[in-house]
Amino acid sequence: MRAVQVIWLREVRAFRGAFSCGVPVAAFLAVCGWTFAMMLRRNEGSVLQLQSVWGLSVAPWLPILSAVLTMRLFAEERATGMIDLLMVAPIRERSLVVGKFLSALTVVGFTVGLSLAVPLLVLPSQSAQVQGGVRVAAFAATFFILMLQASAWCAAGTMVSVFFRHQAAAAVSSLLLCSGMPMVVYMAILSWVPSVRANVAWMPLLVHVYDFSTGLFSTAVMALYAVAAVFFLFVCSKALACLRLKG
Amino acid sequence: MLEIDQLSFSYGTRKVLDGVSFDVAPGEIVALTGPNGAGKTTLLKVLACLLMQDSGRVRLDQIDPLVRPIKYRRGIGYLSEECPLYVEMRVEEYLIYRLRLKGERHLRVRRRVAEAMELCGLEAVAQTHLGRLSQGYRKRVGLADALILHPKLLLLDDLLAGLDVGQRKKTAAVLSSASSRAAVVVAGHEIWEMLTWCTRFVVLKAGRVAAMYRTSDYAKAELARMLEAQVTSAAEEEDEA
Repeated sequence: MRAVQVIWLREVRAFRGAFSCGVPVAAFLAVCGWTFAMMLRRNEGSVLQLQSVWGLSVAPWLPILSAVLTMRLFAEERATGMIDLLMVAPIRERSLVVGKFLSALTVVGFTVGLSLAVPLLVLPSQSAQVQGGVRVAAFAATFFILMLQASAWCAAGTMVSVFFRHQAAAAVSSLLLCSGMPMVVYMAILSWVPSVRANVAWMPLLVHVYDFSTGLFSTAVMALYAVAAVFFLFVCSKALACLRLKG
Repeated sequence: MLEIDQLSFSYGTRKVLDGVSFDVAPGEIVALTGPNGAGKTTLLKVLACLLMQDSGRVRLDQIDPLVRPIKYRRGIGYLSEECPLYVEMRVEEYLIYRLRLKGERHLRVRRRVAEAMELCGLEAVAQTHLGRLSQGYRKRVGLADALILHPKLLLLDDLLAGLDVGQRKKTAAVLSSASSRAAVVVAGHEIWEMLTWCTRFVVLKAGRVAAMYRTSDYAKAELARMLEAQVTSAAEEEDEA
């Protein structure tokens, strides 16, 4: 537990000063803000609530942010050779993996939290109508599902970064895994079972966000993301252990 | 203290270590030498648990790294050839981080870091970013990191590369003092320098132990000549192969 904390702290500090963190975070906030504004305009007068609009404007960009933030976690260590010093330290691979994963998740959580500023602070101050519509508990539920999704994306990104020395290659592969795979599976299901289309109008990942934002909690959905995150982290720690076999 | 028994390792089909066996007692400084590609770095990596041997056994104070890896790794200090560091960190901050990572108690951290910095002559650059340090200072930071927890076994790869003459002498003094409580294995090509402070030389050739010499058994010049001849002939054989 101590090792996890030490690694987490160092990584969060490293994120703070890294160019590969500041730029993606700023870009993510800009894109989320733009998507949020577009969705608000498009859904003016509809039943869609503010927290749902916010959740749905953030969720599609989360895999990209997670992939970019996690790309350096192990790829950079492998490129610089620091991985050797980490592997020599008397800590378990899983502590290393969890510490790094939590650092990326912390940054993602902080960024998603920042994106809350517009719906929670700016909009209510500008419009009396919105002021009454802001429910903090509903925003908390939306934040929760977004963090669950982010944990799966970050875990996948952490796992992928073990296999690469080049950060860009890790980011692209992670993006393919996080964004491409769910899309391909969804498209495949739609093409093989067209009747599903009537029941599933959106990507299931967005449906989860919508459901949680409207109070429809599902244990199965929570378990899905938690299991995915644990699975990716498990593979990651085993892959790290395999580095000892042949370098 | 350190027992290496019939250690073998291969990268794919290429055998890099082939039945390497020797022991290192506490207080000994063993120099690993040989031509490039003889297996020195690989042997150190296996001893540091960075690579897992194909066969053979390593034991440090009866602890097998394959059975109790964490306990084994707690007993070693390792300096790698490239001496990688986190360039955005400061020297003191980095050593504190490394010490905490190795599980040292909070109260002892400052004292241990101060000791290691004093030992390796790093006080003047304690607040300097690692990215701004010269190669020599980077080596010193790496050495401080390896020594910081008073390990039972010190594994130092290409320790003297990049160090000036004065620094090499200081490093020798540091190693001599560290060897009072640890077994030291140093890989390198600087035979003349290592002769003054190493207690034993192990010459590796194509992954095998070609020769072993105790420095106390020979005159310095004679041993240097023998070692150079061994290394040169091994290099020539390797080139021909």
